[in-house]
Amino acid sequence: MRLILVQLFRFLFFVLAQSLIFNQLEVGLGIHPMIYPLFIVLLPFEINAILLLLIACIMGLSIDALSNTYGLHTSSLLVLAYLRPFIFKIFAPRDGYDSNKEGSISEMGQRWFIYVFGILLLIHHFWFFMFEMFKWNEILFIFQKTILSLPISYLLCILLQVVFVSKPKER
Amino acid sequence: MHNLRAFFRRFRVFLLFVLLQVFALSNYFSSLNFPRSQYLTTASAVAGSFLSIEYEFTKHWNLSSNNEKLQKENIRLRKKNPNTFIRLNNGIVKINDTLFKQQYDYIPAVVINSTFDKRNNYFTLNIGSSKGVKRGDGVFSDKGIVGVIHNTSANYAVVKSVLTADINLDVMIENSGAFGLLKWNGSSARIGSIDGISNDIKIKKWSKVVTRGGSGIFPRGIMVGRILKLGTVEGKPLWDVSLVYSEDYRKIQNVYIVKNLFQEEQSKLEETIPEDKEE
Repeated sequence: MRLILVQLFRFLFFVLAQSLIFNQLEVGLGIHPMIYPLFIVLLPFEINAILLLLIACIMGLSIDALSNTYGLHTSSLLVLAYLRPFIFKIFAPRDGYDSNKEGSISEMGQRWFIYVFGILLLIHHFWFFMFEMFKWNEILFIFQKTILSLPISYLLCILLQVVFVSKPKER
Repeated sequence: MHNLRAFFRRFRVFLLFVLLQVFALSNYFSSLNFPRSQYLTTASAVAGSFLSIEYEFTKHWNLSSNNEKLQKENIRLRKKNPNTFIRLNNGIVKINDTLFKQQYDYIPAVVINSTFDKRNNYFTLNIGSSKGVKRGDGVFSDKGIVGVIHNTSANYAVVKSVLTADINLDVMIENSGAFGLLKWNGSSARIGSIDGISNDIKIKKWSKVVTRGGSGIFPRGIMVGRILKLGTVEGKPLWDVSLVYSEDYRKIQNVYIVKNLFQEEQSKLEETIPEDKEE
């Protein structure tokens, strides 16, 4: 019960923070920070893949509704949610995932988080900008946007975890 | 049958993924030109009310510069007021005829949410169909055009701004009369381009670009920007014209919606033109 409440609160936080704050941060050069993929990565390890896809779909649609992208965020978040189990399996620790933990930087360690989150975020950003432009002659602009936005989103996600998620564990 | 069921069980995650993905992408691509519904946009009541709350907090940021802009526009209009002029030619009889009919109607509105750095930028306005705004109406500010209404709900409207890939408004260069379609390439919120001007027409730098009024969305002569530079398109006898917008869309707040009262008449007439039959 407590878990569901925490996740629900996080869901609202990420949707509102993305659409009301980070979508409005326009620093130029096509940088578009996106922090909501972190929510999908932080969901429990043993979650059902179908439930994961449905949560991603609902989250994407709510962000789309607040930022006039008509399904673009949904599409890229679905890709991320679909690939999450595969990437998690590749980088699984030797004795499997501990179901008490979550995929945050403080609980799984920096090395794991950098690889897993980096790969997922790269795929998400590239997919997003690819369909946002969707023209061959703008391919360089797609790469520029992906490469410049990725580190910003990444740093923001780490910062968010340092500020909000990481808490002393007494389990 | 058994195999089929086994197949679905095996690939159910992938099938669900494909299904949702098709839904999301088809909605995205179809809504770029024609919105299917108002629910997944900022025109919806829920999203609109969130954005109005946000606007209550952020509206003060550009307030003084926007007030100054409105004041300047008032002065400009006040200078056209007959009371400011002294009549010089007293002998001539002024004929006050009634051969005018109102063609355009204007509604003031406030932009409550806007972006300028995405590939397709939409603005949200605080008024909607209950005030008579409908899809296809033009939007402009005191300095230049802003876009076309894309989608409305009862209390909110979404504008497809000139900062979208396929805005395609018909504009012309004021003193030469050459016309083309307005485009935006997504790199800077200040720079747009015009497509389709033949390169045998001489164009001066910094000449004014205004709306042409051809499609009946905007009246003729609303400012768009000024010509910044000319280039050549490879393999086509066309100019590649870039222009700098006269409005700064990064700070936009007060806009006007223009309704063409003769729009229906014009489009009904234009429907009777037979389509080009090519081969």
